[in-house]
Amino acid sequence: MDVDRIVALVTAAGIELTDRRRNAKDDGWSLSFANGATVELGDDGSARAAGKGARTVARLLDMPTAPRST
Amino acid sequence: MKRSYGLALFSSTLALCVAASSAAFAAGPGDPPADIAKIETVVVIFAENRAFDNLYGHFPGAEGIDQASKESLQQRDRDGSVLPELPPVWDGLTAKGVTPPVTQAMTEHLPNEPFTVNDAKGFNVPLSVATHDLWHRFYQNQMQINGGRNDMFVAWADSGAMPMSNWDASKTEMWAVAQKYVLADHFFMGGFGGSFFNHQWLICACAPYYPNADRSPAKPSISVTDESGTALKIADNSPKSARDGIPKFVSDGNLTPDFYAVNTMQPPYQPSGNNPAPGGDPRMADPANPTTLPPQTEPTIGDMLSLKHITWAWYSGAWQYTLDHGNHEPIPNFQYHHQPFNYYANYAPGTEARREHLRDAGLGGVSFIQAIDDGALPQVSFYKPQGNLNEHSGYSDIQAGDRHIADVIAHLEKSPQWPHMLVVVTYDENGGIWDHVAPPKGDRWGPATRIPAIIVSPFAKRGYVDHTRYDTTSILRFITERFELPVLHGIVVRDKAVAAHGEPPLGDLTGGLDLN
Repeated sequence: MDVDRIVALVTAAGIELTDRRRNAKDDGWSLSFANGATVELGDDGSARAAGKGARTVARLLDMPTAPRST
Repeated sequence: MKRSYGLALFSSTLALCVAASSAAFAAGPGDPPADIAKIETVVVIFAENRAFDNLYGHFPGAEGIDQASKESLQQRDRDGSVLPELPPVWDGLTAKGVTPPVTQAMTEHLPNEPFTVNDAKGFNVPLSVATHDLWHRFYQNQMQINGGRNDMFVAWADSGAMPMSNWDASKTEMWAVAQKYVLADHFFMGGFGGSFFNHQWLICACAPYYPNADRSPAKPSISVTDESGTALKIADNSPKSARDGIPKFVSDGNLTPDFYAVNTMQPPYQPSGNNPAPGGDPRMADPANPTTLPPQTEPTIGDMLSLKHITWAWYSGAWQYTLDHGNHEPIPNFQYHHQPFNYYANYAPGTEARREHLRDAGLGGVSFIQAIDDGALPQVSFYKPQGNLNEHSGYSDIQAGDRHIADVIAHLEKSPQWPHMLVVVTYDENGGIWDHVAPPKGDRWGPATRIPAIIVSPFAKRGYVDHTRYDTTSILRFITERFELPVLHGIVVRDKAVAAHGEPPLGDLTGGLDLN
């Protein structure tokens, strides 16, 4: 799944994209959404959702969430 | 780029507002009616994301789709040519999980014209189903309006044909309310774009600001515009045609190049989408998070009301629930960026102003409705329904919000305060959905696309369609005139800009009232 695909699927559900940038290591994308969820997407295709609203975003993307403590 | 903040700015701006007050009214659409004081209680209900034509395009007596010219019904491609057909709704018309779905394939080859989602001979999707959300962003909205031609809504959308969708809403409960009272058919969004920005316009008539953004974590969120300054710079790899995919931009951020926040950022205080800083004050959002907006200090309508000792409150559905239990979806699906006062230092956690004015409406608005029934509303109330009741595409449907708001209206009509009440039901913005009427030419920030507005009051004209031109700031105009408040600076600027374009002045809602 690429970054544009993730953004399209989440925003179609009424959850706005609020930030999109290359991560600090420049090996992937860091996305933020209006419900408080963040998605870290590696250039290798790995993806992880965290933050408030992560469960909803993970459900939309059919992916696991990060542990709640993160 | 420099801009000073704090009490000094507030004081000086307030002084300017006071000084501008009489001049602004003298230049306005006329003095307020002498009997405006008959209105003692004002209630503003702010729903989500519907253009006028989307719900009321076939309302009798209104300027609807049937009055639209052929040119205004046709959408153009990104090169300016007329599209031979609409592109499909990318990823399908219905929200994820809806069964049976309306898939992308089922939306192929739609004619280049508006279509009705709940048409029994078409998609036949009922009003109780959530549909695909659409971009509703500051620059895209201006690109879609295209100087008033409204012919680029599809071209600059992320949802294919979806902007051309509308509903037969003639069986909704709020349609009946509009028939009973006043439907304003020339009411426009205060600002271009989305919810965050238009909630700010409802309370402040201003654009929020991020000082020194180019030296902050938000720097990558500074947009890159073309030479016009009103459109995003298109990326080299952007699909050339709307039929080939969603457009791409060089930088489609939350901030303008001069650091005004025009797309969604999170409140600096909880409840916020952003967690507190590790080890920091749990009542705050992490200021180092790039989407946390610094506390704002522009004067708001709340400040003006407090200045004149007028009682007021912002009632938010599921506010306390979210603070106590966190947010849950699909119910209540609290929306952090729909709480505009939670961005302002004057209403920071711990302040008396916050305790007094930012009130919990309860789950499903139950506490707000109790205040209505008890006759305990302040002189001015704003009511924001919780997420699943706000009619926003993607996560909410029209029917649930329609029934909820109609229920609130029914309680208001029975309230002890009803005999001297004005209620305005409107939407924050168009949700990226097409409307055929050109917005008035104004200032840098708006007005934008036409939205529905219903004026409800014992003083409302009955069964009336009000053609007066209004925008979101018209609500502030009414409140300002009724309670003799200093005029917010943004309203003065808006009035001057509209006049400079030779446009008729924007009204103050009294066009829908019979106060004599």
